[in-house]
Amino acid sequence: MDRTVLIVDDHAGFRALARKLLAAEGWEVVGEAGDGAEALTEARRLHPELVLLDLNLPDGSGLDVAERLAATDPAPQVVLTSTHDEDELHELARARRATGFVPQRLLSGARLEAVLSGR
Amino acid sequence: MTTHPDSPALSLPPELHAVLDAALDCVVAMGADGRVVLFNAAAQRTFGYTAEQAVGADMAELLVPPSLRARHRDGVARHLAGGAPAVLDRRIEITGLRADGSEFPVELTVTRLRGAEPVLFVAYLRDITDRKLAEAELKASRIRIVEAADAARRRIERDLHDGAQQRLVMLALQLRIARGRVGDGDESAALLDEALAELDGATAELRELARGIHPAVLTEGGLHPALRALAARSAVPVVLQEVPDARFAASVEATAYFVVAEALTNVARHACAERATVVVREEAGALVVEVRDDGCGGAAGAGGTGLRGLDDRLAALGGRLSMQSPSGEGTTIRAEIPCAS
Ligand SMILES: Nc1ncnc2c1ncn2[C@@H]1O[C@H](COP(=O)(O)OP(=O)(O)OP(=O)(O)O)[C@@H](O)[C@H]1O
Ligand SMILES: [Mg+2]
Repeated sequence: MDRTVLIVDDHAGFRALARKLLAAEGWEVVGEAGDGAEALTEARRLHPELVLLDLNLPDGSGLDVAERLAATDPAPQVVLTSTHDEDELHELARARRATGFVPQRLLSGARLEAVLSGR
Repeated sequence: MTTHPDSPALSLPPELHAVLDAALDCVVAMGADGRVVLFNAAAQRTFGYTAEQAVGADMAELLVPPSLRARHRDGVARHLAGGAPAVLDRRIEITGLRADGSEFPVELTVTRLRGAEPVLFVAYLRDITDRKLAEAELKASRIRIVEAADAARRRIERDLHDGAQQRLVMLALQLRIARGRVGDGDESAALLDEALAELDGATAELRELARGIHPAVLTEGGLHPALRALAARSAVPVVLQEVPDARFAASVEATAYFVVAEALTNVARHACAERATVVVREEAGALVVEVRDDGCGGAAGAGGTGLRGLDDRLAALGGRLSMQSPSGEGTTIRAEIPCAS
């Protein structure tokens, strides 16, 4: 069965491309959200396995949203993403209870699998 | 000048009075009993008393704010009893009291006239309100300049990020989608792979540029992750011995970051060191940053623009930069950045 993902980014262009890219690699994109508040509502409604979460959201930091998602039940896996791709953002993401971090430009289904399986 | 019944004004030749009245500075003299015996024209203008009002009056009551009077009288008494002349013959800054009750900053020097009988103390003093205001303004404006420059750098970084970098990311995703749709043997596949590699290079260059202007990870996560990033990129192995996780004002974080960045660059360029150690800790209202290396030492500390620029930045924020670099024993750069937290 396809793995389910919710894409959270305020940039509609990125959401559309990420959807295409992940769909081509066998992911099922169950929803999209444009900010942190919407992300929390949609995650509770859709129960995706994974939330792909932008670091800079119009209503605050993705790091805070990641923490709040981790506290929901059942908690989805959260992978943070950003146009920044500093290595340190991995640690920063993990410190805030996200599973990991993928730079937007390197986004792919395979890369997400790698982060989720801790590679 | 009139004479007071029991403490007469200093009797001076009229020419000498004229000389003292022409002075820009206040000249005030008092006897051992603390009474004023001379009060020149500048003193009259500055404190708001006429000579008639001042001469014969108790100097402390007249010119010293109530909160400082006891200390002043103690000092005079101790001196007359043979104690060390704590405040005599050197420049001091203190608060004065005007006739209307207002207080103001003065600088003064007090001398005891040698051989004068009876005892005579003479104070030369001036109102330094304007200078104090100018100093405070200068200090505030220097801080504002540093903060404005930092804010501009953050803005440029953000514009690069939201603009060009964002577009390059979209382009990368589009190319990768296209690449996914053509088979490996296809002629276009090689072209797309080349385009992607080229794009990687452009993205990396732009990222370096943006990071040099202002590191996003500093804004995002504070000093700890930002310094870890610097340490990871350093050509010489770096031990981050201690770095607070707390957040500080943007200009404080930026200053600490640029100190470590410049110091580590210098270690790699000049020190021939095996390793460098970074310590950042909060101490008495300041963030103290120390970068040590075990290299050759002997840095003259002049010639380059790196340390000079840091020195200016720290001075503007009211902080200090110091370097110890004994020959053969390595170099330590230490910055103290005032931070209210
Ligand atoms: N860690 C160090 N070990 C030995 N010498 C040092 C060290 N740091 C600085 N120096 C000496 O101090 C000088 C001044 O350093 P500064 O950073 O101001 O200038 P620079 O590195 O030469 O040039 P710039 O920083 O402008 O590119 C250096 O040229 C070097 O001789
Ligand atoms: Mg240098």
